[in-house]
Amino acid sequence: MIIRIEAEADVPIYTQLTNQIIVGIARGEIIPGDSLPSVRAFAADLGVNMHTVNKSYHELEKRGIIKIVPKSGAIISPMEQITSEKQQQILSELKPVLAEALVLGVSKKEVQQLVGTILEEMKER
Amino acid sequence: MSFIIFFIVTLFIAVIQTIIPYLVNRTIVFGVSIPEQYIDSKTLKKYKKHYSISVAFFSVMILGSYVLWVLRNDRLDNQVALTGVIIEFALILISLSFYLYYHGKTKQLKQQNKWVENLKQMKVTDLSVRGQDEMLPWYIYLLPIISTAGLMAYTLMNYDMLPDQIPTHWGPGGEADAFTKKTPISAMQLTLVLLLMQSMFLGIHVATKKSGIKLSATSLQASRNRQLLLRKYSSWLLYIVVLAVTMLMSYFQLMTIHPEIGEGSAKMLIPFGFLVLVLVGTLVFAIKVGRSDKELEMPIEAKIMDHDEDRYWRGGIFYFNKNDPSIFVEKRFGVGWTINFANPLGYFVIFLPLIIIFLIAFL
Repeated sequence: MIIRIEAEADVPIYTQLTNQIIVGIARGEIIPGDSLPSVRAFAADLGVNMHTVNKSYHELEKRGIIKIVPKSGAIISPMEQITSEKQQQILSELKPVLAEALVLGVSKKEVQQLVGTILEEMKER
Repeated sequence: MSFIIFFIVTLFIAVIQTIIPYLVNRTIVFGVSIPEQYIDSKTLKKYKKHYSISVAFFSVMILGSYVLWVLRNDRLDNQVALTGVIIEFALILISLSFYLYYHGKTKQLKQQNKWVENLKQMKVTDLSVRGQDEMLPWYIYLLPIISTAGLMAYTLMNYDMLPDQIPTHWGPGGEADAFTKKTPISAMQLTLVLLLMQSMFLGIHVATKKSGIKLSATSLQASRNRQLLLRKYSSWLLYIVVLAVTMLMSYFQLMTIHPEIGEGSAKMLIPFGFLVLVLVGTLVFAIKVGRSDKELEMPIEAKIMDHDEDRYWRGGIFYFNKNDPSIFVEKRFGVGWTINFANPLGYFVIFLPLIIIFLIAFL
């Protein structure tokens, strides 16, 4: 899977990294059980600080998306039953983004289409 | 003999220096990164052509004068060698001056035309690229290391057979020309230096393998091709050089123990063969890697470019980037690797063994 980082963007590099890995899993480009590159190799390949990659990996682990196993690296976790707590959290994160789109003048139908195209790129896990 | 060797080496340097602009990474011109959209600029092509013509002209002049100077009179071997070294350095200095001149001009051109403005700077990698890396495994280095250990044991076992004067230096014809008194340490000196060199090469190999595989956002396929070939072929070349050095130095050591194997033409042919092998290997490597990313890429529509890293390159030659954990990165002017001076591990891999070798050689 190709990772593209915008070097001078306002979004910090570790957040871009985290988001792209999540999208990659959703699209099925990387699957549960796959291991991510070592922090050193990943940082060297991208030419970024090792702390950046480390931070992204810890973020992903905190969200339950990968598991960091000492010696064997970062492994993408299998899908688990989603808790209502987690579902609530995703809802509360999604709401302001959609609301902002409506406030800025995107019609409801356009928002639905937008969400639809995004979902089409992704696989059902 | 000296003349032939110096002539070949200088010719080799001249050819490589002349064609470098056409062998470097496609988006780097005289050590300055150029966005993919502008690499076909007429002015840049002119700079490259002028550089090559100038270096070629001076090379022909220098080599021609050297040949005339040697032929006109009977010169002493050490005179020929000394002059040979001087012309090699002169050639390197001349091409370096031309490089610096065009480095400045290219930098200016990039600034004046505002090539970087309005382009989004991207960093890119492929999670699967590590799986495509074809560098040799590190343990293959155990082979020459074990052979050296064997040679050390053999030397100790045959300590009585060694002459009272141990050779420490060999001339271009394979003839020993400097000696030192026989002690257990001086008898082992050559094999010790060999062992250190082998460890240094192993260290370089491991450090290279751990260094980044740098892909380009605008020419993903070409850059992948080049990086993977560079890694594969440089690991082969390094290993061939290790084997050749091992054979050459083992041969010298065995010749000290058994002088009869040094008789005949082998003494002259082995060092000469070593030189030819290394030079031909390097030339093939440089051309193979140099041509690996010159295929036409699809024209890119997106307004993007690779992250501009010019600020990490002093003069386009020395790389200082403390964010990059790589120990080695691809050279900007030339084919091969250069050290990341901001990573202290690199000093450890390169300079520590060199210092120890010098200490052994001079103490």
